[in-house]
Amino acid sequence: MHTPGKHLLAAKGVPWVGGSLLLLLAVGALYLFTGAAASEPSRTPPPNAHDISFGPADARLSVIEYSDFQCPFCALYAPMLATLRETYGDRVRFVFRFYPLANHQYATISAKAAYAASLQGKFWEMHDLLFKNQKEWSESADPRPYFDSYAKSLGLDIDKFHADADAQSTTDFIARQAAEGKRGGVTHTPWFVVGDSVVLPRSLEEFDKLIQEAL
Amino acid sequence: MTRAESPGPRRWVPWLLAGAAYAGFVISLYLTFVHYRGYVSPCYVVHGCEAVQTSKYSVVLGVPLALLGTVFFALMFYLGIGLLTGSRVLVVRVYKVLAFAGALAIIPLFLLQAIVLKAFCTYCVATEAIMLFLWVLSFLITAPGQNAEPLDAAAQSE
Repeated sequence: MHTPGKHLLAAKGVPWVGGSLLLLLAVGALYLFTGAAASEPSRTPPPNAHDISFGPADARLSVIEYSDFQCPFCALYAPMLATLRETYGDRVRFVFRFYPLANHQYATISAKAAYAASLQGKFWEMHDLLFKNQKEWSESADPRPYFDSYAKSLGLDIDKFHADADAQSTTDFIARQAAEGKRGGVTHTPWFVVGDSVVLPRSLEEFDKLIQEAL
Repeated sequence: MTRAESPGPRRWVPWLLAGAAYAGFVISLYLTFVHYRGYVSPCYVVHGCEAVQTSKYSVVLGVPLALLGTVFFALMFYLGIGLLTGSRVLVVRVYKVLAFAGALAIIPLFLLQAIVLKAFCTYCVATEAIMLFLWVLSFLITAPGQNAEPLDAAAQSE
């Protein structure tokens, strides 16, 4: 037997049940969303002769990274990339491209230091030092003494290092790569392209799997 | 007294409160998943989420602020539903106290980003804006003189 009271009770229960379902829906959707690695076709330029890279130039597969030395998440990825370079360095070309973000105060000057090191054949060593010590130089009032100390520890010619870091050609190189990245849809760092696909693996295992599948 | 003669219960307010709390819940939950999954959230051009999310202030006594935000907004969402289905005076009072507490919490959170971290996370600012919105809107929950009357009763008496 139906009574108005029962109808009222049922009607009152609807918002509670509906609301709870909405919360559960959000939990489920976000669980899936934050668990899956995104993948989409890349629109950035393929590797070229001007790129700073590690591994064979004629490798069948390339891994391109657009990165910013002051980006904390790029620093988190740096050890992963170092492991991958060690594992696949004979079969995969790892390309580094500059993408200094405007909201990072020392992004450009650190990129210049890395590029200057590359002109003396020590890019990857400087790359590793910049990420490893990111906290100390990024929180300092002037990061240049830190960059100088890294350059000295790598045995670089300091005068040439300074001259190259300050050269207009260095500024142009970094700006060109960033502009190409922007045109290619890069919106954040790190931005990875494995083969022809933009990916954002969440772990070394996931990254390793993506490379193995692409090889 | 008819609705035309007094401000009456604003029926849209609980809907808006519940909707805003739901938005806050989704954002906070996302940040909670990001925290616990160790998901590496990239650095975007337009905001400084990376600096805020990785700061030591993002965790208080071992509990991520994002999780506290998720619980807060879930509570506010259910209280919003409580207001929808019949705003008893206790629900209204609890709502107002929590909304005020949320508004108070905005002050240290905002100052930390502005002064200490010198970076603003879009997600965090969005949740702070929602907390402020809930507090401001909480003043509209009951019309003057109807504090002890359930909304449903008021509606039925018309």
